[in-house]
Amino acid sequence: MTLKLLSHYGEGALKDELQRAVDDWNAGQSRSRVETVPVRFEDLLTTVVVRQAAGQGADILHLYALWTGQLVRAGVLRPIPAHDVRLVRSGFPNAATQAVSVEGTVFGYPTEGQTYGLYCNRRLLAAAGAAGPPRTWRELEAVARAATRRDHHGNTVVQGLALSRGDDSDSVNQVLALVAARGGAFLTPDGRRCALGSPSGEAVFSLQRRLVRSGVTDPAIDMYTAFSAGRAAMAVNGRWWCGSLLASMGERYHDVLTTALPGGRGTLATAYLMGVNTQCRHPEPAWEFVRWLNADSTRIAGALVTRMSALQWVAGSMTARIADIQALFGEHGDPNARPFLDALAYATPEPNGPKAQQAKALLRKNIEEMWSGRLSAAEAIGITCRQVDRELCHPG
Amino acid sequence: MLFYAVFVILPVLFTGALALSSGVRPGLSDMTFAGADNFASLFSDGSSFLFPVLTNTLLYAVGTTVLTTVGGLVAALCLARLPGQGLWRTLYFLPVVTNLVATGNAWKHLYQPDGPLNALLNTLGMDSVGFLQNPATALPSVMIVQSWASLGSAVLILSAGLTTVPRDCLEAAELDGAGPLTILIRITIPLLRPALLFVSITQLLAGLQSFALITVMTENGGPGDTTNVAALEMYRRAFTYGDWGTASAAAFVLLLITLTLALAQLRLFEREGKDT
Repeated sequence: MTLKLLSHYGEGALKDELQRAVDDWNAGQSRSRVETVPVRFEDLLTTVVVRQAAGQGADILHLYALWTGQLVRAGVLRPIPAHDVRLVRSGFPNAATQAVSVEGTVFGYPTEGQTYGLYCNRRLLAAAGAAGPPRTWRELEAVARAATRRDHHGNTVVQGLALSRGDDSDSVNQVLALVAARGGAFLTPDGRRCALGSPSGEAVFSLQRRLVRSGVTDPAIDMYTAFSAGRAAMAVNGRWWCGSLLASMGERYHDVLTTALPGGRGTLATAYLMGVNTQCRHPEPAWEFVRWLNADSTRIAGALVTRMSALQWVAGSMTARIADIQALFGEHGDPNARPFLDALAYATPEPNGPKAQQAKALLRKNIEEMWSGRLSAAEAIGITCRQVDRELCHPG
Repeated sequence: MLFYAVFVILPVLFTGALALSSGVRPGLSDMTFAGADNFASLFSDGSSFLFPVLTNTLLYAVGTTVLTTVGGLVAALCLARLPGQGLWRTLYFLPVVTNLVATGNAWKHLYQPDGPLNALLNTLGMDSVGFLQNPATALPSVMIVQSWASLGSAVLILSAGLTTVPRDCLEAAELDGAGPLTILIRITIPLLRPALLFVSITQLLAGLQSFALITVMTENGGPGDTTNVAALEMYRRAFTYGDWGTASAAAFVLLLITLTLALAQLRLFEREGKDT
């Protein structure tokens, strides 16, 4: 039998490493084979929803944990077997376990855990007269302003703090990470109402509005290109970006310095999960593969870790498994990983209710309206809260 | 008839059933009757469907129709006076046969803050424009591309229409001392009415259903909701959020609008037939 594995690991090191692991599995199997189906992250949820509706869902799903509630409600994900529940609860931090659970039931193995931090370009910070990365909100704004450079046409040459407007996750996660760093959250603890109308939400929205208005940041410019080209002094992003920057910047990666978000008392944690589809006709071998990849050990860089952790480490991303983090990052690896690993202790998991993606899309729209100047910070928060509350109440 | 029943009537009935039900899977067994809840949700306070989604859709459809029809008429009139008309028509028609995704990506590159169009503006001493990033320019920028991409078919139809304008009438008007503008307004355009009507109606219907170009150029209908149109909103609701009920209700609203305009088209054609 052939089991299809749908994943967004469709390019670069993550694709190669996942394929290597799948090849290893296939080489040792006579009964079942696994075949990877790569898809762009932007198309992942749509692919899952459409294939499921057509009765052609992949057997094994590698998903953004934000969608757990939506896909459980739509009957896509199977709860994981009891034995695996124990492995998940004992092997992963609470934030990662929560991210892959709905009302206490675990639906997959956390594969990748991300926390958000501040990326800085040492050279640009030094040129701006900053002795080091900003530690307070006041310093963040001052350094961002000092680092900004524009040409005589008004085009931004160097952004003080780059913001990304790619997909929903890009623009929203950096806002929510900053909100969490100020002690706030997107939704109330029960996940039923928007909580952005807090002083933390207002402070972050106002900060972004000020920075865009004064030209310190230009959301029209692609953050990823700008930062790797040395045209952005600071940006907020997850740990996975270190791997991409290392690949794209080469020698210039030495300029990159990561640190906790100002205040250092909070940030956002996101996760991915690997689970088995309810439409899978052979769930037992599917779970065997998932368990082999996510719970069985292999040796890499002198450490005994799971194949998934090894895969994440080689690709420059971050595993969600506590023991493997300690084994892999104890003495080895990129020092830029440290602030993200430390953040695992205090990061807030992303809400994963049945309307989490819709709520996120609404927030993204209003953030963009605020960046473009059509809404003030207070208006953007007010409209977001009204729209999100309305959506969370609607049963559809 | 069987083909029509399978590919038109059944999907419409099924969409109707989905629009009146709630459920997280598009299967008959998972549907729960919800009455008009999905329609009410689309138009309730705080919903973005009426404004800006539907208004964007109408603006987009009307804007692209005007640009394509006027542009097509100007181009067809100019081509009628040029030698080698076949070559020019082929050149104008090339965007029509080019893949819309490729067209959208090429224009997206042109519109970038550090792209060729802004470089040109800067060379001319003007400031850069955030074509797709500024809410004021995003929708018009996509409309221009849509019109450019469909200009060829308008030129083809209007050029064919121009060949049917009797030379006698034009020559008689010239002998009576009418200038080129008077001939255009009083004789050419009235005689081109069927072709102009056909171009404008087909462009309007295509504009109402536009999806691919907007998805390619702005991906999610941004910035904010400024380029979000009904087809994109339906797509996201159904295929991203699995909200089949409201997506189907939105499809029915768009169907109603399109149907109204199609009926108006029929009435206009009927009047045209009686007039001529």
